[in-house]
Order: sequence, then C-alpha cells, then structure tokens
Amino acid sequence: MQSNKRVLKDIQAFLLDVFFGFYIAILGERILLHAVILNDTPEPVTNAKMWSFLMFGFVFAGITHFTKTSLSLKIFGLGAEKNSFKNAVAVNIGWILVTLSVIAGWVITKISLIQFFSGEGLQSAGRIFSALVHPEMSIFWEALAAIIETLYLALMATIIALPFCFVLSFLSARNLMKGSTIGLAIYTVIRVVNNFTRSIEPLIWAIIFSVWVGIGPFAGMLALAIHTVASLTKLYSEQIESIDAGPMEALEATGARPLQVIWFAVVPQIFLPFLSFTIYRWDINVRMATIIGMVGGGGIGTMLMQYQGLAQWNEVGLIVIMIAIVVWIMDEVSARVREALQ
Amino acid sequence: MLELKNIQKIYPNGTHALKGVSLKVEPGEFLSIIGLSGSGKSTLLRCMNRLHEPTSGQILFKGTDVTHIKSEELRAYRKKIGMIFQHFNLVKRRSVVDNVLSGYLGSMPVWKSIMGQFPADIRAEALKNLDIVGISEKADLRADSLSGGQQQRVAIARSLMQRPEVLLADEPVASLDPATSHSVMKYLEMINKQFGTTIICNLHFLSLVRQYSTRVIALKAGEIVFEGSPTVIDDDWFKRIYGDDAAEVEIK
Repeated sequence: MQSNKRVLKDIQAFLLDVFFGFYIAILGERILLHAVILNDTPEPVTNAKMWSFLMFGFVFAGITHFTKTSLSLKIFGLGAEKNSFKNAVAVNIGWILVTLSVIAGWVITKISLIQFFSGEGLQSAGRIFSALVHPEMSIFWEALAAIIETLYLALMATIIALPFCFVLSFLSARNLMKGSTIGLAIYTVIRVVNNFTRSIEPLIWAIIFSVWVGIGPFAGMLALAIHTVASLTKLYSEQIESIDAGPMEALEATGARPLQVIWFAVVPQIFLPFLSFTIYRWDINVRMATIIGMVGGGGIGTMLMQYQGLAQWNEVGLIVIMIAIVVWIMDEVSARVREALQ
Repeated sequence: MLELKNIQKIYPNGTHALKGVSLKVEPGEFLSIIGLSGSGKSTLLRCMNRLHEPTSGQILFKGTDVTHIKSEELRAYRKKIGMIFQHFNLVKRRSVVDNVLSGYLGSMPVWKSIMGQFPADIRAEALKNLDIVGISEKADLRADSLSGGQQQRVAIARSLMQRPEVLLADEPVASLDPATSHSVMKYLEMINKQFGTTIICNLHFLSLVRQYSTRVIALKAGEIVFEGSPTVIDDDWFKRIYGDDAAEVEIK
C-alpha cells in the first residue's frame, strides 16, 4: 500500500518533469532564441518539431530523475535533502521556469513602453480621459432607465435561479447523498454538469442565448441565471456539507421522516448562510449584467457599447460614472447586510 | 423489554466493533454500559435503535423481532425509544422549545410539521417537559445560549416528547463538569423512577455507575466481559475491564 503510493507519486513527478522539459524547450526555442536573441519570426510549428520538444522533455525528466535534481520530486517531497547541491539545482530549475514564463509573457503581450509613452498615444488617451470627466448630462434619464433595467435583470436572474439552487444543492451535498448508490449517482451527475456549466463564462452564455432568444435583456437574464445556478448550488451544497450531523442523528432517532429531518435539522443550520450567499450573488450579478450588456444582454452595458462605438466619450463618461456609483452602493449594501446576518 | 442475540457489527473499513454481544434489558431497570473508548459502547447503543445496522444477530423488542424492519415500521419502533447524546445534538440556532417540539416529529404528518402546526396540547406538553427538567423559563432562548448541562436537559425534554419506553443515553455527561454531571444523572434517575422508563446509559465514571445504575455491563474490545450489580465491581474487575495500568478516578 505504502510503496504503491510511492510509485504512483514517482510516476506523477516524472510526468510533471516531462512537461517542465517540454515547456523549457518550447519557450527556449520560440521565445528566447527567435524573439529575443535572433529577433526574427520563427517558421510555423510542425509536428516534427513538437515531437522533438517532447523528446527533450523525456530526456530532461530522465536526467533530473536519475541525478535526483528533479524539481517535481522536490515538489512531491521526494527530493534530495535541503542544503545539498542537488536541491539547489532543483530550485534553480524552478527559477528558470519562472524567468522564462515572464519573458514569454512580455514578448507575447508585446509590452511596449515606447508606445505607452508616445506623444500621440498620450494625446488621444488624454482626450478620452478629459471627456470622461466631463460627462454628458443630457442622456442622464436614459442611462438611469438602462441601469435600472440592469439591476432588475440581475435581480430576476438571481430569483429565477434560487429554487433550482435550493433543490440541487441538497442533491449535490455529499453528506446527504452518500447513503445509497442512486444518491451517489445523482450527486456525481449534478456535480459534473455544474462544474461544466460554471466553467463557461456568463459572457459566452450571453452570446449563446442572444442567438437563441434574440438580443436583449432576456438573453442576458438567462445567461446570468444559468451561471448563478451553477455557482450558488456549489456554495450552498458546500454549506450543507459542513453542517453539524448531530441534530440529524438525533431527529432520526426520534422516528422523524427524512424530509422532517432535513427541514428541522438541516435547514435551520443553513438558512442564514444561504441568504448571505444569495445577496452576495446578486451583487456579483449586477456587475456581470453590465459586462453581459456589452454583448447584447441589454441594460446599461448595451448602451455603453453603443456610445463607445460612436466614439461619444462624454456620454460614455456619464455611463461609466453611473455604473461605478451603482456597483459601489451594491457592494456596500451587500457587505453590510451579510455582516448583520452572521 | 429489549433483547440482543449475538450481535456482530463490522464497519465497512473492517473494524470489528461488536463480536457477538447478547444481553437482555429488563423493564424499568437502569442499565449502565462501561468500557474504554472504542470498546463498542456507542455502536451497541446505536444498534439498539437501528441508527447502525448490525452485521448479524437479532434484536427483539418486547418479543418482536425488529432486526430488519424498514421505513414506517422502523420509525414507529424508534418513536418508542428516546436517545440523548454526548454533544446534546440540539439545533443551536433554534429556540429551546422548538428543539423540544422536534422530539414529537415522528408522530406528526410531514406537511403539518413543516408548516409548524404543532397541536396546542403538544406545545403545552413541551413546556411541561421543560418544567420537569427545571428549565421552563429558558423556553424562548436560543439553544446555544444555554450551558452544557442545560442543553443536555433540553435534549432530555426533547426525548420525553416521544413518551419513550426506553431511553438510550450515549455518554450523556462526558462533556460536562462533575457538578453538572450529577444534575443530569439525577434527572435520568428521576425519569427512570417516576415514569418507569427503562434507561440504558453509556458511562465512563464508575462512581456514577455505582450511584445511579441498577445493573452494569462492561464491554472490552466488542465483547461483554462483566455483567452484574455495580457494587460488585472491585479493583480486580476494574483492571480486567480497563487494563492493568488504569486507576479509578472518583467523581464526587
């Protein structure tokens, strides 16, 4: 059992080292050699080239493992003893990885201080900034209506998601579902679907729904609602998993039915945390609704995109200021309410 | 009253908690079960009301086999058996009287209980039960605002809502100080004597066993090693139950 675990760790460490070697090779050739040293454009990647990088990875992993200078072995706690030369090599491999990553990041995002501080660039930016601080007040009422639309969109998304979150969170709480095979199956399915749904950004959901039901607040609301279901269910179910099981056992012992056990022993323990999570989520949804509006989800975001497209920066300025104020108020209110609920 | 025949319990992780325990509980007695932590006391108690399923063996309640009964029948059986716990197991955020009322759930339809429609006489009974354990004035406080001993008394009042024929007590005083321990034990003794409720109690302290129980069973590594009157347990027996290095601690 113990040696099995050791072997498994060894294999994991080796594979991680293969990746490290591969990573060093690919960044070294693409970025360090071509972009920094030769300063030319490398020819496109070929399969053969990728294979050679991978081969390097294996050779790298082999050598570092054989000589016990592997960074992965150190990460997994199987490395050479501290203060030894081998340990120092492993640490330095780590630094090489970090340095290469930073250089690659710099090159790939084309950070250019010259452009950043160029006179022309600064002038244009200055124009926009001065427009932003001179907001155009004539569209105030229009913008207010749009921001109210955004607030309600976020509220509706939260409210529509709630019943689903509530039911699904019980079905995806391990401590309630582990009793039977069917329970465990339901638990697993919901968890997997949830993780998948949550990993798709609301922005993407908004694009999907704006094709599905047409551009507008409804699409934005659906996008937020589906993402809310996924994330709130997770928060809720984790709360359920952390409750004290004692009262459940006690009520079970009195002959209470499962639904009664949940209502009288589980619900009282989770009610306030749930409320707190829900308000927090509404807060998040208001911010997200703004962004989602930019891809056609309706509300203030859509309005922002329109004026930005027309380069009417004074109008954009007013909208940005209004968004900032609303987000700040929501943030403040939600923090206060959640504090009071503790 | 309650009879266990050759009860075995093996947990999924392979722990052999009970190795063929047979015992008979007489109506109205105060039976104490002693033994080291891990000797199987808690498991034995939980097998009695089927919170844990015995791996093999038979459980008889008033002559009826209850080893394999399910759902409705099992709940009807559990209703007759109250239980209190080392950590009280109250819902901390709810009021004392709400906690007591939850002991009546087994006798109520699901929807009525969820709507909170406990009958007036049941509410009165909850207050009366709180009065029996001497804390009726705390009825509307949150459960976690009470001291440990008071919480255990709430738990006793909750079990009284079942009008139990048997009361299982799983180390009811293990997390209480000595003075409070006696107060809780006295309430158990009173319930035993006044209502004739049979009490089966896991205990750590022999002094409490001698003072309150009418009969004692000692478990060691999942087997019964002693059965008899608590006054019979002398130093010799004590060492056989708890091991040679053990020394008895008095609780006054």
